[in-house]
Amino acid sequence: MSINKLENLRKKKEKILAGGGEKRIEKQHKSGKLTARERINMLFDEGTFVELDAFVIHRCTNFGMENIEAPAEGVVTGYGQVDGRLVFSYAQDFTVIGGSLGEMHANKIVKVLDNALKMGAPVVGLNDSGGARIQEAVDALSGYGKIFFKNTIASGVIPQITAIMGPCAGGAVYSPAITDFVFMVDKTSQMFITGPQVIETVTGEKVTAEALGGAMTHNSISGVAHFMSSNDEQVINDIRKLLDYLPSNNMEEPPTFEVNDDINRMIEELNTIIPDNPNKPYDMHDIISAVVDNGEFMEYQPYFAKNILTLYARINGTTVGIVANQPKVLAGCLDVNASDKAGRFIRTCDAFNIPLLTVVDVPGFLPGTAQEYGGIIRHGAKMLYAYSEATVPKVTLIVRKAYGGAYLAMCSKDLGADLVLAWPNAEIAVMGPMGAANIIFRKDINGADDPVKMREQKIESYKDEFATPYKAAERGFVDDIIEPSTTRQRLVDAFNMLSSKREDRPSKKHGNIPL
Amino acid sequence: MKKYNIVVNGNTYEVEVEEMGGAVSAAPVAKAAPAPKAAPAPKAAPVAAPAAGEQAVTAPMPGTVLDVKVNVGDTVSNGDVLLILEAMKMENEIMAPADGKIVSINAANGASVNSGDVLIVIG
Repeated sequence: MSINKLENLRKKKEKILAGGGEKRIEKQHKSGKLTARERINMLFDEGTFVELDAFVIHRCTNFGMENIEAPAEGVVTGYGQVDGRLVFSYAQDFTVIGGSLGEMHANKIVKVLDNALKMGAPVVGLNDSGGARIQEAVDALSGYGKIFFKNTIASGVIPQITAIMGPCAGGAVYSPAITDFVFMVDKTSQMFITGPQVIETVTGEKVTAEALGGAMTHNSISGVAHFMSSNDEQVINDIRKLLDYLPSNNMEEPPTFEVNDDINRMIEELNTIIPDNPNKPYDMHDIISAVVDNGEFMEYQPYFAKNILTLYARINGTTVGIVANQPKVLAGCLDVNASDKAGRFIRTCDAFNIPLLTVVDVPGFLPGTAQEYGGIIRHGAKMLYAYSEATVPKVTLIVRKAYGGAYLAMCSKDLGADLVLAWPNAEIAVMGPMGAANIIFRKDINGADDPVKMREQKIESYKDEFATPYKAAERGFVDDIIEPSTTRQRLVDAFNMLSSKREDRPSKKHGNIPL
Repeated sequence: MKKYNIVVNGNTYEVEVEEMGGAVSAAPVAKAAPAPKAAPAPKAAPVAAPAAGEQAVTAPMPGTVLDVKVNVGDTVSNGDVLLILEAMKMENEIMAPADGKIVSINAANGASVNSGDVLIVIG
């Protein structure tokens, strides 16, 4: 081969690697963002990234586009290794015509998704784009459509992670929304269907881009995003951390790590962690961090519907998805948002063979017109549906209250829990002692010489009789009542026993989860 | 059938009115008594929207104010417990959403509040 041809290739590659050029890269850095290539290099183990489609160019000749060069077509795509495992990725390059999405740009993303699907490897999208490339008109729209379709086909087969690392507006938001996990970077990322200017023209409302669609908005109010990171570097680290909890695809098990935390560790403080007064709140995080390996977990949607916790942790070296009521927030009630959050989390775990641990301390569903009008029936049903549908190992631990419909919703025996454990102070009943005594013993109370005293007596007798785990254990709804200090070893044992679980469902096109 | 002569703007109209069967106009059916209203518990007074720079702390769910822990003028930091709201058999701690001074307190001990009611304004 002549030296010229080699030189030619090198020059071409060099030009592509330079992206939008020095000036634009400097601007990107000044706005607190890394470039697409810097992000990609950070994501993959050193030296493992292999780029695909670097030579792809757009075909647009409208409005002077024929003279505009777009190195790598504004998106860097390829594959590499994360902690030694194959992962595919695409990163939009804001320095190349604003990372705008046209026909060929979209085709590159679709090719990555196709490859990830074929190889059964996770795909990580790093979004930073001004939106559709308007000059390409309907071709750009078609590009978005192709990506949505491919995201949907890949859903439940490979984990799909999207990080919003810049603007993401209009049609661009729906690809992330279809994927399993959405990360956002604080202050430098925004997502919205219609921006602040459009909103002001149409409704007169004045709102900043940050308040409308910033990271905190979508992490705390809308529930669109699942994780928030403070900067580019942190978001990449968080994605790598999440990947360590996930299998590569729906046919594999999550990776196992060596355990350096005693699986028989007794946890004396759990015997006293629940306040004596059942009306006193405590932080559910304390129970979870005491029980899981090394007290480590990664919380999914930590700022949204804080009355329920959803997190990934490891027990005996392997991933467990944990759903737990948080008595500290809204008394740990189930409401519309908590049901949506838990429902989606449960389905994500089930899709990727992640066993579920449910920790129950729930007084009931949140009452009120806001909840009923908001469709708590429809939303609560998602949770029941998700638990019933899940075939992964399901272990339920009742640590205190488990009342009424909410008891059932929190992965009760009847929704298919494989093993239900309860602490001795658990209260499992249709309703709280006060309400129940008023109904059951109404005649006795009203007919008594001293109704107040009689009422108290009846409440006490109801408490002794029903506000315990023993009635439920007598019927087999609770498999065992355990000393709290032994919780870790019992959970290790339970998931070990359940590791060979096989459970089939009738074959169907797909179920019809109430949406 | 009843006949009426009705004069409108000087013109006389003959109108026939037929009384339909049934005791429509008979003794009016006793109206369902309005559901007895529970004794109105002390309610949080409606409050004007907080001025700029002020932040309203609202009730996250319907319940009873058990214990207001602060007084007007107190300085509080983000995360301090402002009051205890008993709801769903739980003594819920309602915390300050930001640093500031207590501008007004709109909830007395024992008051029942609905979700969204303004409990305290921080400035």
